[in-house]
Amino acid sequence: MNRTLSNKQLTDDLVRPVFNTSVWFYAVVFAAGTVVACGAVAWGYQLWYGIGLSGKRWPTFWALYLTNFVFWIGISHAGTLISAILRLVNAGWRRPVTRCAEVITVFALMIGAMFPIIHLGRPWLAFWLFPYPSAREIWPNFRSPLAWDFFAINTYLTGSLLFLFLPMIPDFALIRDRATGWRRTFYGTLSFGWRGTTKQWNRLESAMQIMAVAILPVAVSVHTIVSFDFSMANVPMWHSTIFGPYFVAGAIFSGIAGLIIAMAALRKALHLEHYLLPLHFENLGKLLLLMAILWGYFVFNERLTVWYGNEPHEMAVFWATQRGAYAPLYWTMVICNFVLPLAILMNPYTRGIIGCVVASTGVVIGMWLERFLIIVPSLTHKQLPYSWGTYQPTPVELLIMAATFAAMILLYTLFAKFVPIIAIWEMKAGLPSRMDQSVLDEERLQSTRLGSEPLPDAIGQGGAQR
Amino acid sequence: MKSIYGLYTDPHVAQRAVDNLRAAGVTDAAITVISSEPFDHFEFGHRDAKTAMPWIAAAAGLVGLVLTYYLLGASQRSWPLVTSGMPIVPNWTNLIIIFEMTMLSAILATVVTLLVTAGIPSRRGKMYDPEVSDGYILVGVENPSDASKLEPALAIEGARVKTTA
Amino acid sequence: MAHRWGMAVDLDKCTGCEACVTACHAENNIPTVSAEQAARGRAMHWIRVERYFEGDFPDVRVKFRPVLCQQCDNAPCEAVCPTYASHHNEDGLNAQVYNRCIGTRYCANACPYNVRFFNFFNPEWPKPLHLQLNPDVSIREVGVMEKCTFCVQRIKAAKTTAKAENRALVDGALQPACAQSCPTTAIVFGDLNDPNSRVARLARSPRGWKLLEDLGAEPKITYLHKQPWYESDAQ
Repeated sequence: MNRTLSNKQLTDDLVRPVFNTSVWFYAVVFAAGTVVACGAVAWGYQLWYGIGLSGKRWPTFWALYLTNFVFWIGISHAGTLISAILRLVNAGWRRPVTRCAEVITVFALMIGAMFPIIHLGRPWLAFWLFPYPSAREIWPNFRSPLAWDFFAINTYLTGSLLFLFLPMIPDFALIRDRATGWRRTFYGTLSFGWRGTTKQWNRLESAMQIMAVAILPVAVSVHTIVSFDFSMANVPMWHSTIFGPYFVAGAIFSGIAGLIIAMAALRKALHLEHYLLPLHFENLGKLLLLMAILWGYFVFNERLTVWYGNEPHEMAVFWATQRGAYAPLYWTMVICNFVLPLAILMNPYTRGIIGCVVASTGVVIGMWLERFLIIVPSLTHKQLPYSWGTYQPTPVELLIMAATFAAMILLYTLFAKFVPIIAIWEMKAGLPSRMDQSVLDEERLQSTRLGSEPLPDAIGQGGAQR
Repeated sequence: MKSIYGLYTDPHVAQRAVDNLRAAGVTDAAITVISSEPFDHFEFGHRDAKTAMPWIAAAAGLVGLVLTYYLLGASQRSWPLVTSGMPIVPNWTNLIIIFEMTMLSAILATVVTLLVTAGIPSRRGKMYDPEVSDGYILVGVENPSDASKLEPALAIEGARVKTTA
Repeated sequence: MAHRWGMAVDLDKCTGCEACVTACHAENNIPTVSAEQAARGRAMHWIRVERYFEGDFPDVRVKFRPVLCQQCDNAPCEAVCPTYASHHNEDGLNAQVYNRCIGTRYCANACPYNVRFFNFFNPEWPKPLHLQLNPDVSIREVGVMEKCTFCVQRIKAAKTTAKAENRALVDGALQPACAQSCPTTAIVFGDLNDPNSRVARLARSPRGWKLLEDLGAEPKITYLHKQPWYESDAQ
């Protein structure tokens, strides 16, 4: 934290975007909004004419929409790692990063959860997945991984929404106190009459602690259950026991990459250079490196087992990805997910903000390709060679996919406008003036070792500056 | 609503004010400390930390578990259809849904407990000062029996003391 | 006693004429798609004749077999359907309930035989082909999965008639469209629970084998072939 950081300056900096709007905000919202609108039109077109407007065919019944579904649910694991795990291990550096991460989770989940509806043949009947007592006494088939998906994603979405919203209440109260006019009413309602008594703070922190503990197994279960969509079917190279941990690791991997990109964009757009420090990117970059190595480990495990086993059905898929039609995509994925991150992130000199963003962009592309390469090569090379096929995406699918990326940008920009993207009370609680001497010593030791900006010198200095 | 409170910038001074109030005979329950951030490292910050919230969450999770188990079984038996040779009530696959509903119950119970015990959404009329959002710590008493006795307890190190009628 | 409908396909008799394919289309109101859509893989042939060419000219050998829904006893397509549209019925058939299908297409992915087909668009029958539609079979709308049902409408009609006349079903009287139209009687249909039916006897034949048997789906169609299908199995 900056040596001149004071309580007041912190509040002013972080609340400024809520009160001041730059022209860039309108530009981004307009641009992203246009793409989203185009995507909505494309989807309407598809609803009217039939899912045949997508590139799906016999035997590739799942393709781009499912790829995007798994991809976005994967991105949503950013928040859980940062908020929940780092909160539970009391890592102080998480404070400015928490809300950025949790917002990604919520919006990525919402976008990801759209795709099972978009890919349905009859989406107007999607409500049959909801367990309601119907007149015919028929319920969803709870044995189906898609029914598990429904429960898992809704549980995770509910949990994440609450996990995001509850700590926003004190910040809404803060804005309410500074605002006038419509903002006062708006934030006043959202703040639920929060005052900030010690009892309220204690209850909020207890709730956050419990939810952090609860949401971790839910997050692990969500992506495991998404992986079950594949591993429960006897399709070559889908029916693998590694899919559960493989998908969870991949999700956390792509989530951290998404978070780094979002943070870099916020830092630039909202002038948060004193809050989102090189230290944060350094730490996240190290985590990204770790996940890249872990990803490589899982892929090696899976592929060696298949190659060694030499089972004809599986080897057909194996060779299709290594040397066949999907080889260019496969090797691009390996470079983006493994070679590039390791090259950039292993070296402390290249592990700065730009390096991390470059590596993260590669990872996002690579992880999207990985999802695609899990789904399509296997479906196009099933057990009976007569049923082998191909796949080509259509403009409708690509437009809807582009619209979801635009939707993420749009939602994120709108959020950063209406809510302080860095939790003000969490930052204040982490200021040196508010903390124990022992915690301060530890942080100072850490920051000087890494060569980033040193902390303020004395306790009590922050509070006295008004 | 009558109240008297002091505004402090330094949490150490706020702690002294709380201790002064206690010395002046105010009970702990009557002392209200309001701030724009939690002060876990100070005694006044964690005096109401004890809560049954984890137990409530665990109990709710248990209730969710049992309810889901029975609901799944009942719904699967209501129209027994054989799929892939699996049993009509397959416990292994039901376990996945039971897990999710257990966690959801725990999470929802935590949130409800939070809203109830923190008293939010709350009606107006409670002691508050918007200067808290500027970083001041408010230490005060609602409906004091003798406001004049408490003023010297709160007016330390030049802090402002306010009263409301 | 409950029925257990099964089939035997004699590959030694099959000529690959595809009369079964045409008959199936006619009986079950299967939509035809345009040439462009067929090239994009949207054609729906509940029964198809798979052709495999081996060797180089002039030593080219062609192997073919009709592949249709195997009505597996341990069908991988059933458990994965979230709405019970695909489930096992009392006659041992894999039932596909069109009204309950919301089109997730998971069943099609899970089927190792790729015998499930999807309505990517609303089917159209340019006039006067609409007059040829079979009134006993419902038309499926866009977004619904369909597959061979062993002509369940004929099974149901035969069972109803037999019950009304208070008699048992006669082996060979009830035939799906493909068996009925096969010129060489390569396709035999019947009740596997009746040990004296033709299909039960053929299922016990030493020439019999099951498609992708080692996957454990327990298909109910027995293929009969004197020569081993794979060269490596030849003695």
